[in-house]
Amino acid sequence: MPTLHIVRQSAFNSDDLAQCLQVLRDNDVIVFIDDGCYNLHHKLMNTIDSKVGIQLKVIGKHAQARAIKIDEALYTVIDMNNLVELTLTTSRVITWQ
Amino acid sequence: MNQPVNKLTAIVNAKAPYSNAAGKDALDIALIFGSFEQSISLFFQGDGVWQLIQGQDGTIISVKDYLKTFAAFEFYDIEKLYLCQESLIERGLTADFHIDQVAVLTRKEFADKLATHHTILRF
Repeated sequence: MPTLHIVRQSAFNSDDLAQCLQVLRDNDVIVFIDDGCYNLHHKLMNTIDSKVGIQLKVIGKHAQARAIKIDEALYTVIDMNNLVELTLTTSRVITWQ
Repeated sequence: MNQPVNKLTAIVNAKAPYSNAAGKDALDIALIFGSFEQSISLFFQGDGVWQLIQGQDGTIISVKDYLKTFAAFEFYDIEKLYLCQESLIERGLTADFHIDQVAVLTRKEFADKLATHHTILRF
C-alpha cells in the first residue's frame, strides 16, 4: 500500500517537502530528484521518524552533480531505472513539483 | 476474469489562486471529470487552502475570478472536497469558506484520505 513521493524542489525555496511530510504515511518511499537533492541538507529531514519504515532514496547522479554527499546509512542511491521500477511496486505516485 | 477496478482520482491544490494558472487548470480538469461522470476528489493543502477562503475578489486586481465557478461543483456532482486543517492553522485562518461541503481534516485524516485514491494530480 505504500505511496511513492517524488520530490523535485528544494525545501529552501518551496513548501513542497513540508507538504509531502504532512501526508507521509508509514512505509512510504521518498525519492529525491533534481533540486530535491538539496533537501538532504534541510533540517526538515530530521523530522522524519526513522522507526516507521520510510524509505529515503536519491538519484545518485543528481546529487553528485550538485556536490551533495549522500549518507548511505540514511539514503539509498538509485538510478532512473530503479525509479521506474518503484512506480510499479508502489500503489500510487505523487510528484511534488 | 478480473473485475475492472473503479479507480479514484484526486487533485491536490497547493497554490494560492491569483499569481499563476495552477488553480484554474485544476478546476478545468475537475469539471471535465465531472462532465463525464467520473469521480473526482479535491484536496486543498499548503497555500491551496486560500482558494476556499471567503471574501476574495479577483476583479479588484483584474484577474478573472475562477473561484466563483466552485459554486457549480454540485451541478457536476463534485462533492468530495478535503482541506488540511494544519495548513489552515499555519496561516492563521478559520474554516470560513465560500462554498459548503468542505471537510476539514486533521493531518492524519488528510493523509489517509489521500491514500485511498489511485491517481493523484498535484497543482
